[in-house]
Amino acid sequence: MSDVKKKRREVLKNIGRLVGYGVLGGVFAGFARSLWPNVLYEPPKRFRLGKPEDLADGVNFFPEQRLFVFKKGNEVWAISAICQHLGCTVNFVQLPEPKVLKVGNLEIKEEWEFHCPCHGSYYAGDGTIYAGPAPRGLPWYYLEIDPATGMLIVDTSKEVEKGWKFKLA
Amino acid sequence: MSLKERLYKVWRALVWTFDPADRAEAGKAITRNFWLHWFPPRMTKRSLSWSYSLWLGTISWVLFVILTVTGVVLMFLYIPSVERAYWTIKDLEYSVSWGWFLRNMHRWGAHMMVAAVFLHMMRVFYTGAYKNGVSHAARREINWTVGMILLVLTLLLSYTGYLLPWDQLAYWAITIGVKIAESVPILGPQIKFVMAGGTELGQPTLIRFYALHVMGLPLAVLILFSYHMWRIRKDEGLAAVEQFRLAKKRKDLQIDTSGEEPVYSTPWAVRRIVLVSLATLVWVMFLATFLDSPLEEPADPSWTPNPAKAPWYFLWLQELLAITTIRTPWFTINGGFVGGVVIPGLMGLAATIWAFLDKSPPEATGVWFHKSRTVQNIVFTLGVIFIVGLIIFAMYFRGPNWKVYWPWAWPEIPEII
Repeated sequence: MSDVKKKRREVLKNIGRLVGYGVLGGVFAGFARSLWPNVLYEPPKRFRLGKPEDLADGVNFFPEQRLFVFKKGNEVWAISAICQHLGCTVNFVQLPEPKVLKVGNLEIKEEWEFHCPCHGSYYAGDGTIYAGPAPRGLPWYYLEIDPATGMLIVDTSKEVEKGWKFKLA
Repeated sequence: MSLKERLYKVWRALVWTFDPADRAEAGKAITRNFWLHWFPPRMTKRSLSWSYSLWLGTISWVLFVILTVTGVVLMFLYIPSVERAYWTIKDLEYSVSWGWFLRNMHRWGAHMMVAAVFLHMMRVFYTGAYKNGVSHAARREINWTVGMILLVLTLLLSYTGYLLPWDQLAYWAITIGVKIAESVPILGPQIKFVMAGGTELGQPTLIRFYALHVMGLPLAVLILFSYHMWRIRKDEGLAAVEQFRLAKKRKDLQIDTSGEEPVYSTPWAVRRIVLVSLATLVWVMFLATFLDSPLEEPADPSWTPNPAKAPWYFLWLQELLAITTIRTPWFTINGGFVGGVVIPGLMGLAATIWAFLDKSPPEATGVWFHKSRTVQNIVFTLGVIFIVGLIIFAMYFRGPNWKVYWPWAWPEIPEII
């Protein structure tokens, strides 16, 4: 066999190999991709909380969405009940009397706290982490009124700054 | 013929219909038998002794078989759906004949297998059985690596099985497990998304864990186990026989060669395998008879039990990830990543590559606690004590809100909404 023929054979062999592995890899990549869902059958992230006047003064807990909604006067705000360490549901703990908690330079006036039962993360009344392993505080979420129905709506995919409160008209 | 020999002959005549007369027959008895053909025709007495291997590998395998058999029956009775899974387990407990026993056997078999595989690893380390001695063909550190993977697969099998009852215990243990994956930097959220099949635990999670538990992981174990066994043959037997090989080469070393004489695998090995299998089965059945499996309330995503604890073999990880969050003024690293991924990952990696780095002499191969390996044995033991200590601490000294209490002084859990 001439050298040219040999070389051609070698090149064709490599192309064949490449195509073979490519197809195999592609098929497996497709299989793997199928495991990443495109449609989620989960409760929506944006949902109605009901009429604002139906909310109790103080704390309201929405178990399915794991969300605390607080109402005081004409102000409403929403804080997640999902611990930022590893996702357990934090417990709402009413303090016997209001107090001022110092966290670093912050002074937080609080009437309640959030305690995580799983690994002992402690959050102040505004969701600031002050003890335990959680890497960050509890997120606050965006609230709005649906103009058509007058219902209060929360969007747990939209995080807002701590202290952001929705003012009822 | 002495009386002892005479009695032995009677015993043999009563118990064994087939007793190989010579080496050829003994060889055929092995190679022509489907179940036995992968064994050598003869083994040394020391390889078969109780005190060298403690038979922990065989016990692990028998447990795997028990789990497969009970698992297949359970598959007929269990429905992997979030609405019905819990109630099929309730049925196992209360309405299926012997359902409780089946479930208990499967659960105890799983706990025992985690323990047996771990103890097997300890035995191999302390006997220096991942070393090659004077053999030229052996590459036993490969089998050590395969064993490490099998240990991880055993843990994953337990972990995936843990979710299936879909009760509070299962739900929150798996929530923590999935969040550990999420805490990995950059890739974490995608890993969690594909593990859970969504942004939260639900039907896609249950069916994924179920498929892995009943098919994917057992298949991987089966393939790696076969390779593990094949390697023992290609590595020229258990490491214990390296002692005899060395003794022939180095007369100056005064090596203990008791148990050097080979015996026919049938009946010698077969008899012990049957004995170990039966003892393991009886032990699991004993536990299953007297110790019931827990089943808490149905999974409730809105409410976390206080305290929520992982199964015992993961408690050391739970303890680690609760105390290893790193805080600096510039960044924070979730303890889920440090304690749940980095530390156990490094420990596993160190244990695995050590088999390739261990430079102790050949006479330390296949003997318990050889004096040339004292330092590494101590370091290894400290690692084991670290893990076991954390498990005990987390199990008995961590109360509500993961606070430290004396085991007898757990407080009343405060009222919560």
